[in-house]
Amino acid sequence: MKKVVNIPLGSQHISLLEPIRFQFTTENEKIIEVGADVGFVHRGIEKACSETFEWKKVGYVVARVCGLCAITHSLSYTLAVERLLGYEANERIKYLRMLMVELDRIHSHMLCLAHVSENAGFEAMFMQIMADRELVMDIQEAISGNRVQFDYIAIGGVNRDVTPELVNMIHKNLDELRPKIDDLMERFSNNWSLSLKYKGVGVLTLDEAYIYNALGPLARASGLKTDVRAESSDFPYEDVGYEMIFESSGDIYARNMVRLREIINSITMCENIIDNLPTGEIIEKVKGKPEGEVVVRVEAPRGELFYLVKGSRKNFLDRVRIKTPTFSAIPAMMEVFKGSEYADAPAILASFDPCMSCTAK
Amino acid sequence: MPIRKVEIRLEDMLDELTTFYDAKVWHFLTVNGIDLGDGKIELQWIFSKYGVKDETVLFSAVTAYETKVPSVVSLIPSATLSEREIVDMFGVEIEGAAKGLYLDEDSLTMPLRCSL
Repeated sequence: MKKVVNIPLGSQHISLLEPIRFQFTTENEKIIEVGADVGFVHRGIEKACSETFEWKKVGYVVARVCGLCAITHSLSYTLAVERLLGYEANERIKYLRMLMVELDRIHSHMLCLAHVSENAGFEAMFMQIMADRELVMDIQEAISGNRVQFDYIAIGGVNRDVTPELVNMIHKNLDELRPKIDDLMERFSNNWSLSLKYKGVGVLTLDEAYIYNALGPLARASGLKTDVRAESSDFPYEDVGYEMIFESSGDIYARNMVRLREIINSITMCENIIDNLPTGEIIEKVKGKPEGEVVVRVEAPRGELFYLVKGSRKNFLDRVRIKTPTFSAIPAMMEVFKGSEYADAPAILASFDPCMSCTAK
Repeated sequence: MPIRKVEIRLEDMLDELTTFYDAKVWHFLTVNGIDLGDGKIELQWIFSKYGVKDETVLFSAVTAYETKVPSVVSLIPSATLSEREIVDMFGVEIEGAAKGLYLDEDSLTMPLRCSL
């Protein structure tokens, strides 16, 4: 006999890092309907960007939308304002910005993989991945001065240069990290609890990915070949070894594989960037006040980050619209839960790598 | 990234988007709102093209605060949260979009209206 039960997951739950509430309707153990409440940490940042802070300070405000991907937020905003001011950064600035974005992707993906391992019962592996992640955090701290919420990107450039000593340190840490990721790839491919157990679980099909506008690793794991790095000419990604990574099965295993392979690709890109850093100033004077309306997309670790900025030559902007990857991915996530076993919900959720701080902004 | 802006009338919006939108060609980005003052709001539906560099299309319709806005969720299921966000932030009514995504009953209402 079928029994329908409503089970809430969150807003506080052992498997959640940040507050989100899913309301699952289950038939026996199978999830048949899902509701989501995502607004527990709304901070009114869009309003602050147009009414509390002048446009020159907004880059530092949006860096606080998310601790993990602060760099992509300040970069998106800065690109938007620079375009409204008619400024395009030189190649050295573009390379330094790309370097930070790719380092950000490496440590963010590693955090996600650590939580996936923890959900599979591998607590020691969680700690090991977090310890290895420090290699990247150290690089970010050495470059930007901060481990998280870096205020590295500035209008007209970046705030610090990469010195020859830093180049050596980046090489050393990335050389150390690469075999550790290869080892993780081996474990996520061949360990039963991390591979076979997750094959066929939490599947988002290619058609569903299109219908629900999936993005980032979630989309690419389903075979949807979309990546802002390939769809925007803001950065010369094709010159530094960018390769679009995708899988086709759309399950937890595929999402893990996409992230692992993207880490390896990002390590290669970081090495190419520091080996071929163009010469030039790291910051240039940009004059004027923003006028007009512009859209910017940047590939954050979780997928496409979207900014719309509108200004009319005043100290305060008319509108700053922020659309974050997790916010866009929630309809696809809800679809994936339907038909899954309730017991798999925490593992499925971890494989989405949700960021509620970004979502509620 | 240059924007191709298409100005439409709100009453034609669903027909225009139905003709335009192919889920396998266009990636739906978001619904946006901009308060223009004087009781008017600009609503925007924004898309980018898969696999093509720098192609973004923005459909724009200007409407009054009190006009009921049709929902695009039947055409674009993933628009549901964006529509609810607009309802909370601008206090416009969108068919089928419930209040309360971000704001509690006792919190500030319609925070992105310029008069507030």
